[in-house]
Amino acid sequence: MNEPIMTDMRSEYSKSLIQLGKENPNVVVLGADTTDSLKTSGFGKEFPNRFFNVGIAEANLVTLSAGLAASGKISFASTYAIFLPGRAVDQIRNNIAYPSPPGKKGLNVKLVTSHGGLSVGPDGGSHQTIEDIAIMRVIPNFRVFIPADTVAVSNLTPLMAREYGPFYMRMARSKTPLVHSDSQEFQIGKGITLRDGSDCTIAACGITVRMALEAAESLQQEGISCRVLDMFSIKPIDNEILEKAARETGCIVTTEEHNIIGGMGSAVTESVSESYPVPIKRIGAQDMFGESARDDEVPLLLEKHGITSFNMVKQVKEIRSKKL
Amino acid sequence: MGLNYYQTKKNILRARKLVIKGTNAAGSGHPGGSFSMAEILGCLFNKHLKFDPNNPQWEDRDRLVLSKGHAAPGLFSNMAVAGYFPESEMETLRKFGSKLQGHPDLKCPGVEFCGGSLGTGLSYSIGIALAAKIDSKDHHVYTIIGDGESDEGQVWEAAMTASKYKVDNLTAFLDRNFIQQDSYTEKIMPLDENLDGSDISEMWKDASRWKTGDKWRSFGWNVIEIDGHRVEQIDAAITKANATKGVPTIIISRTIKGKSVEHMEDNPQWHGKAPDSDMVPIINLELDSQFMIAPSIIAGDMTNLENEIKRCVTGRADYIHLDVMDGQFVPTKTFDHNKIKELRPLTVIPFDTHLMINEPVKYVKDYVDAGSDIITVHAEVTDESSFGEIHDILKQNQVGVGFSINPDTELPEWSYKFLQSLDQLIVMSVVPGKSGQKYIEETHAKMSKLNSILKQHNFSGYIEADGGVNLENIGSVFADGARVFVGGGAIVSQQDVRSAIRDFRNEVLISRRRGLLAKANELGGIDLVNKWIGLHVIGTKQEQIKKIAQEAGYI
Repeated sequence: MNEPIMTDMRSEYSKSLIQLGKENPNVVVLGADTTDSLKTSGFGKEFPNRFFNVGIAEANLVTLSAGLAASGKISFASTYAIFLPGRAVDQIRNNIAYPSPPGKKGLNVKLVTSHGGLSVGPDGGSHQTIEDIAIMRVIPNFRVFIPADTVAVSNLTPLMAREYGPFYMRMARSKTPLVHSDSQEFQIGKGITLRDGSDCTIAACGITVRMALEAAESLQQEGISCRVLDMFSIKPIDNEILEKAARETGCIVTTEEHNIIGGMGSAVTESVSESYPVPIKRIGAQDMFGESARDDEVPLLLEKHGITSFNMVKQVKEIRSKKL
Repeated sequence: MGLNYYQTKKNILRARKLVIKGTNAAGSGHPGGSFSMAEILGCLFNKHLKFDPNNPQWEDRDRLVLSKGHAAPGLFSNMAVAGYFPESEMETLRKFGSKLQGHPDLKCPGVEFCGGSLGTGLSYSIGIALAAKIDSKDHHVYTIIGDGESDEGQVWEAAMTASKYKVDNLTAFLDRNFIQQDSYTEKIMPLDENLDGSDISEMWKDASRWKTGDKWRSFGWNVIEIDGHRVEQIDAAITKANATKGVPTIIISRTIKGKSVEHMEDNPQWHGKAPDSDMVPIINLELDSQFMIAPSIIAGDMTNLENEIKRCVTGRADYIHLDVMDGQFVPTKTFDHNKIKELRPLTVIPFDTHLMINEPVKYVKDYVDAGSDIITVHAEVTDESSFGEIHDILKQNQVGVGFSINPDTELPEWSYKFLQSLDQLIVMSVVPGKSGQKYIEETHAKMSKLNSILKQHNFSGYIEADGGVNLENIGSVFADGARVFVGGGAIVSQQDVRSAIRDFRNEVLISRRRGLLAKANELGGIDLVNKWIGLHVIGTKQEQIKKIAQEAGYI
């Protein structure tokens, strides 16, 4: 494969927000002392009366966003992933997801976080959330995205603004390789087939999508045809694309930088077990916490949890032998 | 401006009864915290909130956020009284399929905030307030937070945020009832300071120990501290808060958990417990038996009425009774509306203006303009036409309508049609004209006759006893049906007005307890009497009530 083009999700998020701010006066943006890091401060410079920095107070951040949404605003609240679902789950549940105005489900708040998963690196295990998808997935009325690249971010941000209701979107800290073409379309609950294949499927999300593509490339050289799905929409999950993959390829490997318990892999397993059960292997954090790693050491940290294209190749080969 | 003082009080009473009805039907719920904020919500719903029950989503409505969501019955009952849904729906509280959930929920149109998880309502309210600012809307956000709830750190996150963003379109109330689920707040997590003994009243009474206001002031808030059961204080505080620009306001309202039902008052057990069915009629009778003490300042130093007002304020009078005499209807002359206007700024306590003057219809507007909260005119100098005019003027100006009869006057038949909308009926028990006369004993018999006429014509106001009421006879006057007691010589002429008023209250309380025991005895004999007595577990009430029951031969 070609050398990847690396781009920054937070810059893309910032650009999208400013664009939304111009188009819709109801868009408001909130932060919690991480607005320079998340780059939402750019929105604040453009629209100072629609930008609120509440300081290091995530619970307050979440509930304030809900109050604004209750009065017709479209709230984008952002900070690091570890501090939103991890810290303010009560407020997320009771102030955003639960309150449902007549005919609606939940309030119109978009929680967009950065620094998801293990690839956060040097800050260490305290900052590497491997639980957020599990937490957010279980809360009714929430929809959950993990974009793989900046194309996804620039599509999903306005999509969330257009679509009423609570969303959670988790971005990565470091620059991520482009995997989508500029013309790629994104729909809620629709996975994207990035590469077709008939012997096995790798369902990936976030930074692992590029790894999955690399794994498929190397499997190809060994004569194994591997399908690659970007399952950016973890909730709702695309049951159709998964059932099709199960029927046509007979086995699935999932991969994510999240605990294998409760994450995208679990969502895929739940779906396939009800539609067309086939063997599934989940790659991800092995139910243990992360740890510090310099940026150039992040691959080592990921490797410790088996989150590498090399391991994907290995798992695909193993699981093929278990096909029914 | 909303409803007048009396109509507001009546709606508060209705709401309290609905709390009892709802929690009793549900078999669970939180009456204690509903009652501590009953006057706050009553004052908001009936005097200040802009809303339309037929269009709950009206964009320009004021928003009421009940952060202490467990007091849902208190919110729902006010919404029922305000016409959002029929009062009978209170019986569905906490039941399957009801929109009246255990905690406030958007399922019920008109509810603004899903309460339940504590500590979040203030942040939510700031969000609403900021949205209003972005949209240049002038609606107001009112938020009720609890004192137990203030243990939550998010309350203080919100406190900082409101002050940073100068949300002056938000007014918070702290329902400071000193009780949370486990025990007294000052034992669990003191907001003021540690409570050493177990008598919560020691904190309530000792202003030097209140620190909560300082906390909020240090967070940059405008702080107003009031007695949260006084409608006039709540009303004045809201007006002041709304006029304060550039900073948010918190109205720290000292309240009593379970207020208005003696066995619930200050009793942590009633945080989350429903009353039993056999207690409901007794509780309702107790709620109907609220009373007011109205010192008459002409019994004091007529050359320094300003000071007499101050003495009444210190004495915690419920009303200030102003006897206006013209030297014609009665031989004495006291003061007129000009004096009342001068006295008005001295206090927010309701002015109970009693016009003992000829041709009141000519002057009534002057007394409205002077700042009276209720104006009473005499049957002897009005007729159907002139009283009708007075009635309309008072109603239009949100002033309470009072009517009075002298000892030798019967209630005129022409007045029957007004009884339903009357706020107060003064039954004179002395010949008006001067202070210090003896109570005319025949008034007792007159009252019993009057009661049946009043009942027949759906009178729902307060009967005020005026003339010769003292510690010896006040209990029997209460038993006759009077609920407001004018005290001249027996209060204002005393050295210590505060203790005189306290003694008045204690005597009424004994009489009220006697009446409630009689009700219990009538409904369920000795078992119910004992059960009711057994509920009074705080302080020395139980012993006192037992004694009354023994004297009456119930136990």
